[in-house]
Amino acid sequence: MPLLEIRNLVTAFHTPAGRVPAVDGVSLSIERGTTLGLVGESGCGKSVTAMSVLGLVASPGRIEAGQILLDRDGRSIDLVGLPERQLRTIRGGRIGMIFQEPMTSLNPVFTVGNQVAEAVRLHQKVSRQAARARALELLRLVRIADPERRLDEYPHQLSGGMRQRVVIAMALACEPDLLIADEPTTALDVTIQAQVLELLADLRQRLGMAILLITHDLGVVAETCDEVAVMYAGRIVERAAAAALFARPLHPYTIGLLAARPEHRRAAADPLAAIPGMVPQPRDFPAGCRFHPRCPFVREPRCTAELPSLRELEPGHLVRCHYAGDLGDPATVPAEARAE
Amino acid sequence: MSDATAPLLAVSDLETHFPIRRGLLRRVVGQVRAVDGISFTIQRGRTLGLVGESGCGKTTAGRSILRLVEPTAGSVRFAGREVRAERPAALRSLRRRMQIVFQDPYGSLNPRMTVRALLEEGLLVHRMGDGRERLRRMTAALERTGMPAGTLARYPHEFSGGQRQRIAIARALVLEPEFLVLDEPISALDVSIQAQVVNLLVELRRELGLTYLFVSHDLSVVEYISDDVAVMYLGRLVETAPATDLYARPLHPYTHALFSAVPSVEAERRRRRIILPGDVPSPARPPAGCRFHPRCPLAEAVCREVDPPATTIGGHRVHCHVAARELAAGDAAAASQRIASLLTAAGGDRGEASKIVATAATSPHSPPGSGKATP
Repeated sequence: MPLLEIRNLVTAFHTPAGRVPAVDGVSLSIERGTTLGLVGESGCGKSVTAMSVLGLVASPGRIEAGQILLDRDGRSIDLVGLPERQLRTIRGGRIGMIFQEPMTSLNPVFTVGNQVAEAVRLHQKVSRQAARARALELLRLVRIADPERRLDEYPHQLSGGMRQRVVIAMALACEPDLLIADEPTTALDVTIQAQVLELLADLRQRLGMAILLITHDLGVVAETCDEVAVMYAGRIVERAAAAALFARPLHPYTIGLLAARPEHRRAAADPLAAIPGMVPQPRDFPAGCRFHPRCPFVREPRCTAELPSLRELEPGHLVRCHYAGDLGDPATVPAEARAE
Repeated sequence: MSDATAPLLAVSDLETHFPIRRGLLRRVVGQVRAVDGISFTIQRGRTLGLVGESGCGKTTAGRSILRLVEPTAGSVRFAGREVRAERPAALRSLRRRMQIVFQDPYGSLNPRMTVRALLEEGLLVHRMGDGRERLRRMTAALERTGMPAGTLARYPHEFSGGQRQRIAIARALVLEPEFLVLDEPISALDVSIQAQVVNLLVELRRELGLTYLFVSHDLSVVEYISDDVAVMYLGRLVETAPATDLYARPLHPYTHALFSAVPSVEAERRRRRIILPGDVPSPARPPAGCRFHPRCPLAEAVCREVDPPATTIGGHRVHCHVAARELAAGDAAAASQRIASLLTAAGGDRGEASKIVATAATSPHSPPGSGKATP
């Protein structure tokens, strides 16, 4: 049984302008001790998926359908519809979380030690002293230099990378089975990002926890994840082992993302292989395959009318495209002409 | 006007310090040395990429050149004229020729102005053309950036991030500048949109003969778009070279670490990662000697005391004591490989703040094909 299994999740926001299905039938699973990368661009629903797992979708958003099954000592519990009190023991207990901007998770008026100790005491009945000792241990675990001194410092006294380490320490307070990390290194510089990614990989190995890593950066996924799910316009469009996905992407969107990187050109003077058009917003997702207005391999009428299913084209490699594996030649329409 | 061989832009010993004020009397108690003595030139029609991490001063450097922030020392010569010496009226006419595109197309376009008002503002300030001529220029600039003429009557919020950045570029182009400072122009855009904007910038450069200063932290895009690249760290340029040279043969340990830290999709491009210890120090209190020494796995005694002078080999300039010594012993390729292997060997002690000094030089971990052994 996987540690976490999401089945056909639908999370929608009910705005005055109508229903906005940010997550529209997402299925995922994460095995214990592995890292799943959830990649996509702004508005694709990757963060709302994570918020749904954590039970943090705020009104006017609502989980409308689906199951989120968490394995708890061999028993599977559905997090959808679980009372808030029980959710609270799971959030920060079984499931830890870290977000892009560490300052949103830290209170500027309390010391680091105070906040890490509080995270410990929220889920474990221990004395103040024991909690502080545990906090110190956690700061050591996330390799913060001079942890005794840092305990009594305030978040503003720390650098961005250091703050993210503190947030990771708080997330680890209860030794979670799953860590949800939403763009954990996006606000950090590359040399600091490298430190934090290495720390996460090391912690995963030492603590045996699984990580759901949400990011827009394919490079980060390639270097840290076992499995990858690519999201586009509220749906998973491709799912595979990381090595397989990068060696042989099957969905035109994934192919396009990888081809657009400057490293991918054959000659230095070639223009980048840009994906034409715009990232669709949830309120106006296109009909049929949601990628069809931007797809160079689009074939009428099937792609424009019929929603493709997520099918297993190769063992363990799923793709939501009518023609994946048999895409044919890309359209020769110049990108600029299709851009608007 | 300048002669043909003189660079369009020549920056020398540029400094931009910001005072730190404290207390009731707002007394100056220190200086943030955001830009602390940088020199470079850009030839007409070429692109200089300026890379570095947040807080290194790259954005301030770009703005100092246009005097959007006032430099505190040094010289900026644009087309033969000293930008720092120009009086307001003359500065305005120079600024028509040097424009800037900012990172955030949400923040840089006033949401209460129509695109027409946004684009026309500069033309009015510079008294360029009558109504009909202005309209012609605006339509032409939008067309160049791939936006339909109907864009003029609309407001920024009606457009996506990528389209807004096209509008911001059109606003710069409408004045027919020769030089553009592009300050992280694609960082705020979605991955699938970034390549569109990069292609547009390359096309505009070719068609209009533009000269760019491309400020970015995205190393692969900088490699793609730049002729030359300068690496900035704590207010200084630590290494400057032609792009192909810098990416093939980096010399400065910081450049090595920066390149190695970029996560890559291609397994063969993934270098042995060099994890730098610690954080970037504050530019208000830059370390003595080489500014990189507290994080440098190769730092020696001299690095803590002596600010490294420039060592130049061909068009490749580096400020590093270790690189200078390696260059004295061999060519740039050998020196680059040798520094890479020293760094890899020193990287055994990962993430720790302690510095490896003497052990690195005698380590047996040189990868095959690395440079010669220490003399």
